[in-house]
Amino acid sequence: GGEGGGLGSSSIAASIASKTKTKKKHFVAQKVKLFRASDPLLSVLMWGVNHSINELSHIQIPIMLMPDDFKAYSKIKVDNHLFNKENMPSHFKFKEYCPLVFRNLRERFGIDDQEFSNSLTRSAPLNSDAQGRSGARFHTSYDKRYVIKTISSEDVAEMHNILKKYHQFIVECHGNTLLPQFLGMYRLTVDGDETYMIVTRNVFSHRLSVYKKYDLKGSTVAREASDKEKAKELPTYKDNDFINDGQKIYIDGENKKMFLEKLRKDVEFLAQLKLMDYSLLVGIHDVERAEQEEVDSEDNEAEDDGESDGGGVGTPPDSPSNTLDSTKPLSPGEFDPSIDVYAIKSAPRKEVYFMAIIDILQHYDAKKKAAHAAKTVKHGAGAEISTVNPEQYSKRFYDFIATILS
Amino acid sequence: MSANCTSAAAVSASKTKTKKKHFIGQKVKLFRASEPILSVFMWGVNHTVNELSNVPVPVMLMPDDFKAYSKIKVDNHLFNKENLPSRFKFKEYCPMVFRNLRERFGIDDQDYQNSLTRSAPLNSDSQGRFGNRFLCSYDHRFVIKTISSEDIAEMHSILKKYHQFIVECHGNTLLPQFLGMYRLTVDGVETYMVVTRNVFSHRLTVHRKYDLKGSTVSREASDKEKAKELPTFKDNDFLNEGQKLQIGDDNKKYFLEKLKRDVEFLATLKIMDYSLLVGIHDVERAEQEEMDVEGAGEEEEYENDGMGGGALTGSFGTPPDSPGNPLNCGGFFGPGEFDPSVDVYAIKSRDGAGKKEVYFMAIIDILTHYDAKKKAAHAAKTVKHGAGAEISTVNPEQYSKRFYEFMSNIFVGPTPPPPTHAQLRPGGTGPSHLLHSSSSFLFAPARKLSH
Repeated sequence: GGEGGGLGSSSIAASIASKTKTKKKHFVAQKVKLFRASDPLLSVLMWGVNHSINELSHIQIPIMLMPDDFKAYSKIKVDNHLFNKENMPSHFKFKEYCPLVFRNLRERFGIDDQEFSNSLTRSAPLNSDAQGRSGARFHTSYDKRYVIKTISSEDVAEMHNILKKYHQFIVECHGNTLLPQFLGMYRLTVDGDETYMIVTRNVFSHRLSVYKKYDLKGSTVAREASDKEKAKELPTYKDNDFINDGQKIYIDGENKKMFLEKLRKDVEFLAQLKLMDYSLLVGIHDVERAEQEEVDSEDNEAEDDGESDGGGVGTPPDSPSNTLDSTKPLSPGEFDPSIDVYAIKSAPRKEVYFMAIIDILQHYDAKKKAAHAAKTVKHGAGAEISTVNPEQYSKRFYDFIATILS
Repeated sequence: MSANCTSAAAVSASKTKTKKKHFIGQKVKLFRASEPILSVFMWGVNHTVNELSNVPVPVMLMPDDFKAYSKIKVDNHLFNKENLPSRFKFKEYCPMVFRNLRERFGIDDQDYQNSLTRSAPLNSDSQGRFGNRFLCSYDHRFVIKTISSEDIAEMHSILKKYHQFIVECHGNTLLPQFLGMYRLTVDGVETYMVVTRNVFSHRLTVHRKYDLKGSTVSREASDKEKAKELPTFKDNDFLNEGQKLQIGDDNKKYFLEKLKRDVEFLATLKIMDYSLLVGIHDVERAEQEEMDVEGAGEEEEYENDGMGGGALTGSFGTPPDSPGNPLNCGGFFGPGEFDPSVDVYAIKSRDGAGKKEVYFMAIIDILTHYDAKKKAAHAAKTVKHGAGAEISTVNPEQYSKRFYEFMSNIFVGPTPPPPTHAQLRPGGTGPSHLLHSSSSFLFAPARKLSH
C-alpha cells in the first residue's frame, strides 16, 4: 500500500488482519494550511483547490449557468523567489476548468464548498493502490470523502464534450444518480510536467471498511482478477470472480427497485452520449468482520505504527477520536446517507453495499479510431474491449446487474 | 510631497454633499473599483495576506527574506470578468519582511487586509513630487503611493537597515511606516506601489497642511496649489503666517528626540530631500462642521466612492462620535480625541493654547539618495533649473542638520537644548535663529527668519 503522505496524515484507527498497523489521525489545526505533502504535485493540488474555492467565494453565485461557463477556465502561475519554499515548489501552475459549473455541481450533490476545500487541503490526500483502466493514479482525500483521479488530456476533452449534457442530467435527476459525481477538474504543472486531475465523490464509505471489491461490466471476455491483483490487500475482482464466488447482493425490494431505476436512467444517458466500457464498482462492508477488526485493533493499540494504503479502510464507527461525525456516534454498520450516498444496507445479511458507476469517459468513436490504428497489434488488453456498440453495451450491462441483485 | 487624504466631512461652504459610507458585507469581496488597477491591487493584497497566513511566522528574518518576492500571474477565460481584468500579474517584494514590519508597527495582517480590500481605495488629489499618484484605503488608515522602479531599487537598498532601525526603536519613529510593496501588471503596464500608514488621522479632518524641509529656495505654495481644497503649504508660508505649533514641553521633547534619531539615520544612509508633513486639526472648526452636516440632514447625496469622479475626491471623516460610524467601534471619542494606537502621529495642543488643535507630523519622501541625485544633476546640468531650483546643493548630512534645526523651531515654547557636541562642526551653524525665550507666547509674531 502507498504511504499516506504528509505529517501525521496517515489515517485509520482500526488495524486490519493484515500486517500493516495504523496510527490515529491527528488533524492539522484549521487556521494554518501548510499544504505539506510527500509529493510536490499534491502540495500544488492542495494549494490550488484552496485557492480556487477562495476565489469562488468572492464571485456571486449566478442564477443560472451560461454557455460560456462551460468553456471557461481560471489559470494561475506562481513564481516565488526565496519565499515559501518549505512546502511548495517555487514554480507551478494551476488551472481549473469550468469553475462555475463544478461549483454548481457540488451544490447539486449537496457538497458545501468550504467542506470540499477542507477535505482536500487540511491534510494531504493519500495514495491509493487502486488502479484505473490504464494504470491511472488514484488518491483519496485524507478524510476519504473524495477520490482524485489522474486522467489524460483526452479525458479532459471528453469531459468538456459531455459536460453540458451531464449537468443537465444532474439537474433533471436532482443529483440522484449512480453516475460519478464530478466535483472539480484541474490541470497542474510542476517542473514543466502537466497532470490532469478530476475529483469525484468516493463510492465507498469514508468510515466503513470495504473488505471485498468488484468491478463489473457484464462483459464475457477476460473478466477475472489477475494473480498479481489478487496479491493486493484489497484486490479488484471482476465479473467471472463474482460468478465463480457465488457472490450475491442481498438488498430488499424497495432498495432494489430504486437502485435499478437509477441504473436504467443512467445507462440510457450514457448510451445516448455514446459512452461505454464503464463499470459498476461494488464494495462490500461486513459488519461483524469490522467489529472483530476493531477489537483486534484495540488490542494492538500500543503497537500502532503503521501506514494505511488508502482504499476503503474505515475507522471504528464509534471511535471517539473520529471527528468526522460530529453528531452522535454511529453504531456498527450504520452510516450517514448524506455522506455515504451510495450505501445500501443488506436485508438479511449484516452487510453494507456501496455500488456506483465508474469510468464513463470512453467514447465509442474514440475507441473505433484507436482500434483501427491498432488493428495489426495482437490483442492484449484489447481482448477486454468488447465489440459491441454503446447501446448494446448499456443493455448487456444493465441486464447483468439486474441479475446479480436477486 | 504630502500624503494627503483630504478631509471633507462637512464642507459647509462647498456645494457638494456627503453620504455616509456603507460597507460591503465582509464575507464576499468583489474587489470592485473604478479602475482595473485598483481591483488588481485589492485582489493582490487579499491574496498575499492569505498566502502569508499559511506560512508560519519565523523566529527571525533571514538575509534571503530581503531578496525574496512572490509572483503570481492570472489568466482567466470567460471567468470572473465582472470586477477583475482577465489577465494581470501581482508581485509582492520581501513578503516576510513587510509582514514583520507590520507586526512591529502594531498592525494585524487581517486588519491590514480588510482596510485595503473590503472597499476600493480612494483617490487622493494630492500630488507627489513628480506627480506620483496617491490613494487612501477606504478607512483612511493607509496610504498607497505609486512609485518608480528606482524607488523600488532604493527601498531594497535600505530595507535591511531600515528594518534594523525599526527593531531598535521598537517601531517608535517618525519615519514612514512601510507596510507592503508591490508591482502590478495590467494590460502590460507595470505599476509599483508602496503602502504606508497614513500620517493623518483616519477620523479627524485636517484643516491645514504643510510640507516642510527647512530649505530656503522656492518653498511656497503656488497659486494653483492654493486653489485646492486642502493646499499643501510650505516653509515660507509657514514662516510668513507666523505659524507655531502649540504642543506641550514633554510632547515636544519626545518628538524632537525621535526626529533627531530619524534624521541621523537618514543621513547615514545618504538620504535627503525628505519633508516633515504637518497636518492641523482644528477642534472647534470640526465641531462646527459636524453641526452643519447634521443640519443639512437628508440632502446628503455625495458620492465619495473613490471612483475618481465627483468634485471632491479623497477621503472624508465621519463625525467622530456619530453612532453610525463603524470606525468608532472602540467606543465614543469626544471632539479632538483620538486613539493613539491608530492615529499614531497625533499630538494634542497644549492646555494653555489659544486654539484646541491636534497635530499630525511625520517624515515623508525618504527615497531620494544623494548619489542618484548627483547623477541626475550632472545629466541635467545644461537644463535650466525648473523643479531643479528646489533641489538644495547640500549633502545629506547638512540637509539633516538644517532640517532638524528648522523643525525644532516650529513649536511654541522654550528653545530646544543646543545641539550636542556631535552635531556641531567647526565653523558650523549654531542655534542662532531661535525664536522664543518664553513659553507664554500664545500667538507668535509674524517674523521672517533667515536660514
